[in-house]
Amino acid sequence: MASHFEIELEKLKNVIIKIGNLAENQLGEAVKALLYEPAAESKEVKKTEAKIDKLDVKIDEICQSIFALQQPVASDLRFIMASMQISNEIERIGDLAISVIKNSKNIKEKHDLIAKFSIADLARQVEIITVKMNECFIDRSETTIGEIFVLNNSIKTSSDDIIHNLMNEMKINSKVVVSGMNLVLVIKHLERISEHCTNIAEHIHFMIKAKIIKHEKFDDRQ
Amino acid sequence: MKDIKIQVNDLSLYYGEKKALKEISMQIPANKVTALIGPSGCGKSTFLRCINRMNDLIPSVSITGEMLVEGVDIYDKNVDVVNIRKKIGMVFQKSNPFPKSIYENVAYGPRINGLKDKGQLDEIVETSLRQAAIWDELKDRLDDSALGLSGGQQQRLCIARTLAVSPDIILMDEPASALDPISTSKIEELVHELKEQYTIIIVTHNMQQAARTSDHTAFFYMGELIEMGKTNDIFTKPEKKQTEDYITGRFG
Repeated sequence: MASHFEIELEKLKNVIIKIGNLAENQLGEAVKALLYEPAAESKEVKKTEAKIDKLDVKIDEICQSIFALQQPVASDLRFIMASMQISNEIERIGDLAISVIKNSKNIKEKHDLIAKFSIADLARQVEIITVKMNECFIDRSETTIGEIFVLNNSIKTSSDDIIHNLMNEMKINSKVVVSGMNLVLVIKHLERISEHCTNIAEHIHFMIKAKIIKHEKFDDRQ
Repeated sequence: MKDIKIQVNDLSLYYGEKKALKEISMQIPANKVTALIGPSGCGKSTFLRCINRMNDLIPSVSITGEMLVEGVDIYDKNVDVVNIRKKIGMVFQKSNPFPKSIYENVAYGPRINGLKDKGQLDEIVETSLRQAAIWDELKDRLDDSALGLSGGQQQRLCIARTLAVSPDIILMDEPASALDPISTSKIEELVHELKEQYTIIIVTHNMQQAARTSDHTAFFYMGELIEMGKTNDIFTKPEKKQTEDYITGRFG
C-alpha cells in the first residue's frame, strides 16, 4: 500500500501533468489564432487561463504542505523543488499564449507575412518543444531533455532571423509596420515559451540527476 | 577530509558467532559532528560503543580490525582502557545522573582522577556547566539533588559531567530521543557549539536531527556501512539506493 506521503507526491505529479497539458492546449489555440483564424480570445481560452492559474496556486499549496508536514529529502525534495519551479514556468507559458492571441488580432496582412517569413514553421517547432516538455516530465528521459535543448537553440536562431527579416520588410514597406511590430512581438512570445520549456527541462534534469545546470551556455552542454 | 580524528580499518564485531559489524572502514574528522543513522539493529550503536570500548563489558563480544584514535589502535593490548574512556566521553539515551547533588555529579570525574583542590573543582564545575549551557539555570542550586531536575536539564547535566574530565571525543547515543522539542533544540544547539572543541559522534533515529546537527552522516544497514558523506550530500543526493530509500522512508 502506498504511504500517505507517496499519495501526496502522486497527486502533485498529476496536477503538474494536468497544468502542462492545459498550457499545451492554450498554445495550440494561440497557434491557431496566429495562423488561421481571425484571432479572438474565445471563452474557452479564458476558461483555460483561469484553470491554469488555479492549478498553479494548488501546486504551491501542495508543496507547502509537503514541506511543512513531511520534511522531504533527496529525490523527493528535488521533485518538490522542481515542481514549484515547473509550475511557475508553465503558468508563464499560458500567459504568453494569451499574449500571442492578443497580438495576432492586430496583424492584418497575416497570411502574406506568415508565408513569406516561414513563421508557421517556427510556431510548429514551439508546439513540438511544448509537447516534449510535457513528455519529459512524465518519462524523465535525459534524451528528451537533450532534444529540448537542441530544439530551443534552433528556435532561437529562427526567431532572430525572422525578426531581422521582418525589420527589413518594415523599412521597405511602411504599410506593414503595425502588423510587422505585432508579429515581432508574437515571435518574441513564442521564443519565450520555448525558453520556459527549456527551463523546465533544466528543472527536470535537476530532479533526476541532482545537478543544477541552469544558466549553462548551450555550447557547454554539447 | 582534513584532520582525521578516528580512522577505522576493517572493523568487525561478533556477538559470539553472530557478526554484528562487517568490515567497517571510515574516517571521522576532528572537530566535526558525525551522525550515525540506520534502522534498529543495523549496528550503529554497537559501532558507537566500539569507539570507547564499551563493548568490552559484554563477554561474548570479539572484535577484529583497527580503531585508530589519533593514530593509536585503542584495541592494542598496551592501551589503558580507563585512559581511553577519559578521552572519549559518552552521553546516553536516558539521562543517568548520579543520585548526588548537581555539583557532585560534575565534580565526580575530576575527583576520581585525583583532583582535590576545591578552587579547581569549583572552576571545572562552572566551566563544564557553562559549556553545557545550563550554568545560568543551575548556578543557585548546585547543592540540590540532580534527580530533581527535568529530563532536559538532567541530560545537559550529564553532558557537563562528560565535559568535566576534558575529553577529546564525545559519543552521544540518541541524546535527545526522550526529550521534548524545546530541550531537544537546546541539546542540538549545544552539539553545534561543542564541536568547536570536541569531535562529536551522534547516533540518532531522528533523520531531521541528523540533518540539522551533523557535518557528516554515515548510514549503516545490517552491520555494514553503506554510505558515508557530507550530511548535505547524503540528504540531497545520496549515492546509494539503500541510503535514498532509508532517508526518504521507503525502506523494506
